Amino acid sequence: MFRREQSEPGSVASLPTDVIDISTFEQILGMDDSDEDRDFSKGLVYSFFSQAESTFQEMDENFENKDILKLSSLGHFLKGSSAALGLTKLKDSCEKIQNLGTRRDETGMREEPDMDVSLKKLLQTIRDAKNQFGEAERALKRFFGDVSSQEK
Amino acid sequence: MWKRYRLRRLALIRLTECRMLENPTDENIVRWGNEGDSFVVLENEKFTKHILPKHFKHSNFASFVRQLNKYDFHKVRHNNEESGQSQYGPGAWEFKHPDFKMNNKDALDNIRRKAPAARKPNQGPDDVIVPTQQIDLINTQLVATQQQLQQLQERYNELNIHHSMLLQELMGVQKTVVNHEHVMQNVMNFLHSVDAQRRRDSRMINPFNQATTPSGGAVAGQSSQQPQIEEDVPASPLQQASKLLQETNADMLLNPRNLEHMNEISMRMNGTLTTPPPDYGLRNSQQPRPGSRGAPRSAGSSSSVRAGEIDTLVYPVGQTNGIDPMYSEHINNIPYPLPTKPPEPTDPRYQGPEALKKSAQIDPGWIRQPQILLVEDDPTCRRIGGKFLYAFNCAIDSAFDGLEAVNKMHGGSKYDLVLMDIIMPNLDGVSACHLVRQFDNTPIIAMTSNIRSDDISMYFQHGMNDVLPKPFTKEGLFQMLQKHLHHLIKQPGQGIDPQLQPNLTPAGPSHSVAGSTPRPPHAHTHSLTHSLKEEESPSAGASNKSPATTSNWNSPNQIPGVSPVTSSVTDDYMHHVPQQNPYAAQMAGNPPMGYPQMGMHGGGGASGRPGPQQPGIQQQPPQGQHRRQISEISGGEEMAGSGKRQIYSGQMGMQQRR
Repeated sequence: MFRREQSEPGSVASLPTDVIDISTFEQILGMDDSDEDRDFSKGLVYSFFSQAESTFQEMDENFENKDILKLSSLGHFLKGSSAALGLTKLKDSCEKIQNLGTRRDETGMREEPDMDVSLKKLLQTIRDAKNQFGEAERALKRFFGDVSSQEK
Repeated sequence: MWKRYRLRRLALIRLTECRMLENPTDENIVRWGNEGDSFVVLENEKFTKHILPKHFKHSNFASFVRQLNKYDFHKVRHNNEESGQSQYGPGAWEFKHPDFKMNNKDALDNIRRKAPAARKPNQGPDDVIVPTQQIDLINTQLVATQQQLQQLQERYNELNIHHSMLLQELMGVQKTVVNHEHVMQNVMNFLHSVDAQRRRDSRMINPFNQATTPSGGAVAGQSSQQPQIEEDVPASPLQQASKLLQETNADMLLNPRNLEHMNEISMRMNGTLTTPPPDYGLRNSQQPRPGSRGAPRSAGSSSSVRAGEIDTLVYPVGQTNGIDPMYSEHINNIPYPLPTKPPEPTDPRYQGPEALKKSAQIDPGWIRQPQILLVEDDPTCRRIGGKFLYAFNCAIDSAFDGLEAVNKMHGGSKYDLVLMDIIMPNLDGVSACHLVRQFDNTPIIAMTSNIRSDDISMYFQHGMNDVLPKPFTKEGLFQMLQKHLHHLIKQPGQGIDPQLQPNLTPAGPSHSVAGSTPRPPHAHTHSLTHSLKEEESPSAGASNKSPATTSNWNSPNQIPGVSPVTSSVTDDYMHHVPQQNPYAAQMAGNPPMGYPQMGMHGGGGASGRPGPQQPGIQQQPPQGQHRRQISEISGGEEMAGSGKRQIYSGQMGMQQRR
């Protein structure tokens, strides 16, 4: 995976562009008081982490219950915030979850009559989303200089 | 004991049966059943032919069976047996009566013909009770249907009233717009004369400017930045503005008639119209209208009308909670307390003393701090949106979902603008908007990533004013604020019609002209910086307000997907008044001037135009592109002349028609 381990934490250039849309993210950073004081963006991102984690947990539970409509609404929920932070890949996966949960294909264009297919795809997409979230989380924690998180 | 039965003819049957059953010679034809509690006719044919005549006056098996039935004998059916056949053979008929027993002849007394009087009570459980149940059912259904019908009727009346109110509102707005146009045209006239005067003056003072050689496109574009100084060019922005005016006028002329027509129809249909007559004098497109607010509110207070108004949520998401939010009673009886105003910011960060911001607050010059309600279930989006709004010096209140938003607004909190997520738990944004519209006209902007055209038309249908696609940018948000809160932005020079300015001042025109075509979203970025830059612009004067007024003026074009209401209205009523179309085209000049056409014309005119040699021009190279756009669409000298005539004649025609 494309990564710039060398660049120092705290610089936007250290963020992997395939994971995070820099212009969107910079807009968030632009709302901070200063480059040194990233209270706003850091608080926002970290609350997003916990939000995403609990959403994934809910997804797992609802997947067990095969409540795919609920999965769809959870996907939509996480889509909004990941899009707002510029986490493009995660956003795309969430959108897929949203569509799959309404018994359609990933794009939402076509009906998917086979529940097993929907569930199978959902399982994979949720797994993808978790991986993408992990990726984004590591990158962002590094960006915010949270060294302790690196072994996580 | 047999004699008793003789008295009654039919009782004989019992007697004779007993007798005939006990006749061993006939045993293979008719006999007691195996258990002695029934009798069996083994051979139907022989029984009818030989035995029946001995005991009855007839030899008809069917009447025998009928008479048996009258005495409450019942044929024993053998459904439960595997073969489905009687144990006495395929053709056997077995009859039973509880009191007809081989060894209990006394019980025969109890065998009586079912009396006609007794029949009814007997049938009661079967025939009488069932009908009353059915009647009950039908009655309830009838009542329910009537109620539904009544509700529909009420709803229909209400919609009728709303419809005519809307029509009147629209007509009022249109008249306002038309009046604005009058003003604009007057100002145009005046400016034309000033312009002519100035050209005459400058020709005398500064004659060499006329002889300036034609320069490249860029220079020609920049030339339009200084229209007051050059003598040939100023006609072009003026000309351009005039043409734009003319075009919009042509459209305007169509619509009032359509609406008046509609209004007439609805008035005719709706005899009990309760709305006050439109008060055009008081009307202002941005102010809350007492007339329109009164009726919906009173309608909202009568719960019978509201009940069952919407049956389903537009976006049922998540678990529905116990109460149906669509019932207005519930709105009034919300279990948790309503917020008091002024609304407290939910996150202290928004309002915190963060004066030392890297991104300094961009205050567009509010008359007072706008109150914004941010309705968003996603904490991340809520924080970002709140932060942006805070940066624009707005006071923010937030609601977690549509229900909370409706409660806040119903509870008396007044906002200048509502930013509403669409998909939310408990109550989605569209439903919430629909509810709010029953009592409030605050602009509501949908914030959503669902921006397919059918989605958007649904948002408008339910009373949303605009759509802000998600994830939104700071600029997009700012643009929305400017557009919907421009009445809160300080506007120096109130006396002059502000809409003229963008066409005339050097800084303004790029926006107004670009704005009249569907503008790419990133153009908003420019208007943001633009509004800030104008402070230092030399000719700024009254043009500070241009971004706001501009966006207001062009609002229909900026929505991705034109408001379905207006489009459907014109579509419908275009058929009623087709004869007005040619007249409109005439007004706009012939051929009817489309904007692109003018651009093509103007290209030639611009290149042939003398370029100015002003030192100040190079100061604003980044805006050159926009500037050039203007000059490209500006007509040349002769076009200006002919166009002017068109304006004047058109104007006169319009005034005559009014």
